[in-house]
Amino acid sequence: MADWRAIVRARLTDLRLTASAESELTEELAQHLDDLHRDLQSGGAPDEAAYRETISELDDIAALRAGIDRNQLMAKHEVVPVGDATSRTNLDDLRRDLRYAARTWRSNPLFVFVVIVTLGLGIGANTTVFTVVNTLIVSPMPVRAPSELMALASVASTGTAQANTPMPLSRPNFLDYEAQTSVFSGVAGYVPMRALTWQAHGASQPLLSEFVTGNYFPTLGVAAGIGRTFGPEAERPGDPQPVAVMNYGTWQTRFGGAADIVGRQLRLNNVVVTIVGIAPPRFIGVNGLVGPDLWLPLHLAEQLLPNEMPAVVGNRSRPLLQVVARVKPGVTTAQAQANVGAVAAVLAREYPAANAGQAVMVRPVRDVLFGRASTMVRFAGAVLALVAGVVLLIACSNVANLLLARCGARQQEMAVRIALGASRTRLVRQLLTESVCLGLLSGGFGLLIGYVAMQLLAKSLPATGILTTSGLDGAVLLFTLVVSLATGLIFGMVPAISVSRADVSGTLQESRTAGRSPRSATVASALLVGQVALSFLLLVTAALFLRSIQRAYEIDPGFDADHLAVFLTNPGQAGYDEPQTNAFYRDVAERAARLPGTESVAWASNMPLFARPLGGLQVEGRPPELPIDSSSTIVNTVSRSYFQTSGVVIEEGRAFTDVDRPTSLPVAIVNAKVARDYWPGAAAIGKRIQIPGERQMREIVGIARIGNYSSFGELPQRCVYVPLEQNPLPAMTLYVRTTGDPTQTVNAVRGEILAAGPHVMISGIRTGQQVIDGSLFQARVGVALLSVFGLLALGLASIGLYGILSYAVNQRQREIGLRMALGASQATVLRMVVKQGMSLVVVGMTIGIGAALLVGRLLNRMLFGVRAGDVVSFIGAALVLSTVALLACYLPARRATRLDPLVALRQS
Amino acid sequence: MSTAEWKKGSAELLVLSVLEDQPRHGYDISKLIQLRSGGALRFHVTSLYPLLHRLEKHGWIVGRWVEKPEQRRRRYYSLTARGREALREKQQSWKDFVALITRVTGIEHG
Repeated sequence: MADWRAIVRARLTDLRLTASAESELTEELAQHLDDLHRDLQSGGAPDEAAYRETISELDDIAALRAGIDRNQLMAKHEVVPVGDATSRTNLDDLRRDLRYAARTWRSNPLFVFVVIVTLGLGIGANTTVFTVVNTLIVSPMPVRAPSELMALASVASTGTAQANTPMPLSRPNFLDYEAQTSVFSGVAGYVPMRALTWQAHGASQPLLSEFVTGNYFPTLGVAAGIGRTFGPEAERPGDPQPVAVMNYGTWQTRFGGAADIVGRQLRLNNVVVTIVGIAPPRFIGVNGLVGPDLWLPLHLAEQLLPNEMPAVVGNRSRPLLQVVARVKPGVTTAQAQANVGAVAAVLAREYPAANAGQAVMVRPVRDVLFGRASTMVRFAGAVLALVAGVVLLIACSNVANLLLARCGARQQEMAVRIALGASRTRLVRQLLTESVCLGLLSGGFGLLIGYVAMQLLAKSLPATGILTTSGLDGAVLLFTLVVSLATGLIFGMVPAISVSRADVSGTLQESRTAGRSPRSATVASALLVGQVALSFLLLVTAALFLRSIQRAYEIDPGFDADHLAVFLTNPGQAGYDEPQTNAFYRDVAERAARLPGTESVAWASNMPLFARPLGGLQVEGRPPELPIDSSSTIVNTVSRSYFQTSGVVIEEGRAFTDVDRPTSLPVAIVNAKVARDYWPGAAAIGKRIQIPGERQMREIVGIARIGNYSSFGELPQRCVYVPLEQNPLPAMTLYVRTTGDPTQTVNAVRGEILAAGPHVMISGIRTGQQVIDGSLFQARVGVALLSVFGLLALGLASIGLYGILSYAVNQRQREIGLRMALGASQATVLRMVVKQGMSLVVVGMTIGIGAALLVGRLLNRMLFGVRAGDVVSFIGAALVLSTVALLACYLPARRATRLDPLVALRQS
Repeated sequence: MSTAEWKKGSAELLVLSVLEDQPRHGYDISKLIQLRSGGALRFHVTSLYPLLHRLEKHGWIVGRWVEKPEQRRRRYYSLTARGREALREKQQSWKDFVALITRVTGIEHG
């Protein structure tokens, strides 16, 4: 007797019918064949023939296929990959895994959304930080072979306090080094940028300009983006046409990317200069963050700045040029240093007056890009990268936890598949495929975040700066790809391992609502503790920097920043001679003083917190100091009302008055630091000093309180004030003290300055508060970034905590219901759940405190006025963290208390 | 016209017709058609059952699993009200068609 059912089923397999359709059809056909077979047999047909005829009924399977209704067929996708039995190739498996993953996601889009957002934020943070670090530190200069570039700077060869402060080289010394050294293929110099007056459209605007030697562009190996650059020929004396190369960013923003820019003529300081080319995008010279608007040949300096430059360019004693040189291939820094040192020794012998005691230091150029802040920038970059990495780690562990929870729900499925013959490696591979896919998707989202962040960053920075493009180049894309893949592997590893260890028979015997295994619950808790510890660490760091900045604002800068506005003017560049300039200063002061809302007006040569110390202060009765030794005296030329207007207190003696005239006794006011340094314990008033660049002695008539001159919270510096009447200067800063909000007065004052001198450029209009904010800019950016990252971490960790507890409450519904049925109060249940969560938080925080104390030690040098172990920061961070954590615990706990014991007990 | 084509055009009419007087199971239907046509018309299972399912989907017939004592479970198909209506229509149009052919070809009077 033939088994018709089996025969029919075998024929139907290929049709891929749904289970119910297949079983019904099988039964009907089998019966039909059975009936037919019986009839044939009873009709006398021999067994063999009856069987053959019956079976021939099934020959035309195509008709069956054509006639079957579509909704009796299985959906297009394949069945769950059960095991290895049908696996053909790896590619096949991969395709199947991908399809399977896509199907699982479709059924749970919220999960996918949460994962992609969580990881995307983490990856986005890393992409952004990597882009910044890549641009600033790894490949900051778009020049040929940047590693061949060396910076040359003059340092004292004898050990003094300032021994390591690198100084620019004088122009004659520069020429000698260029001629006499043999290790370089090119030596170029540039004068740090300064504002020149661009006279256009009736108003004057500042253009930051860098004077560079003729071989500057050839040495750096920079070709023009548009037009041409200039070479040594531009430096030849008597070159008829003054030329300039413009910064790409300046061209784009201030000249609207005008197509006819090359050949355009600009009137700078009354000299007409022709733009011959645009520098390539991203080239900002040998500068760390912001480049100049223009590069001009050095020989134009004397023509454009007749007041300041002629005495400087030919003077062997005056530091002028920052020097950058390209070593010949194969020359090491040490060899270059030896060669330069030999030349320096010769020059010191030949010109002892200028060069005695001087050596020249050779360093890779990337060490000097950010000036003194170089190490700080690198350190900050490392800290940022670390912080972003921590955020990503938190995101990863969060997602790993989510996956673990889902794994709990899928344990049945996995166990069934293992029981049906799927190998564990196969399942692990499938889970990893899924998580790597999620990682890649998140990477795409992260790239988007990184792009947006870089756009925002570029917008908030000057167009001539280094971060002007999104910077998402191949390196960044590769970085994001690697991070995404690694992320997928890392967070996918945890659930994969837990699956591969799953106990099949145990799981199959458990009730269908089986949850997390104890092992995976431990893993989840450990991950959560880690998250809490890391976010605590970030919060403490952010708090430390916040406190540090608060402290900075509490510092007394030595001047009164409230109700103050400053205006930098440069009548000298507008072509004013000395009498005109002095008349302009008087006129502006009178006009501004007449304005309503101004209390007092004064002129000073220094902007607050922007002063540069000079070398060469001489004290009567002391041996003359070498220029290189005494680089730390601030000289501020001020008008009579300066002390009253700026709020600098005269502690002893008098301020400048009407008696201090050009022809009267030369006088000066020094700050308390000068008095203490040179006449400790004795009266400084009446003593005589000589300021750099002057030949006469000045008598000290007053002592001013020490303030901050170059930066906020700096160490005390020496400062000397001289009266404007006795030291007329071509550029001065107007200080206006107002009765009310200084921003209300700014425009009126600006109008009065222009009325007094229509061609005079006004740059750097700032209120006192803006000056202080600007000085603390780096620190504020640091705090802002750390706070963003800290809050991001806190948010992610809280979501993780909430998720784990919600899940735990779900799992424990029966138990909780039982407890409540047995008389546990809602308060007891609430306490129980909150305790479960908060105990993890406490463990995490304890670890976090230890880590924060360790990390704080590393951060000590970036902190200001706050110790790394600052109690307030730690308590603050702990409060914020535990409040948020408590909320994350409370919500699931409250849900637990609202369970109806009967319903909860029935569940299972 | 070959038997196959006949079947194709009139299969639905044939099945509905044999179900007119009483519900029948698949083998019964195919046997009856074969019997009444004197063996000329035969359905293979691979085309009969899809046809039955299609008619069921139209709502003309309905299949029910019936268990009778001492017998195996069988699926019996019976005509619905709509099926009866469809049968009338098909019979009528078949008659009209045959009459037309007859008139044109003059077979009856030939």
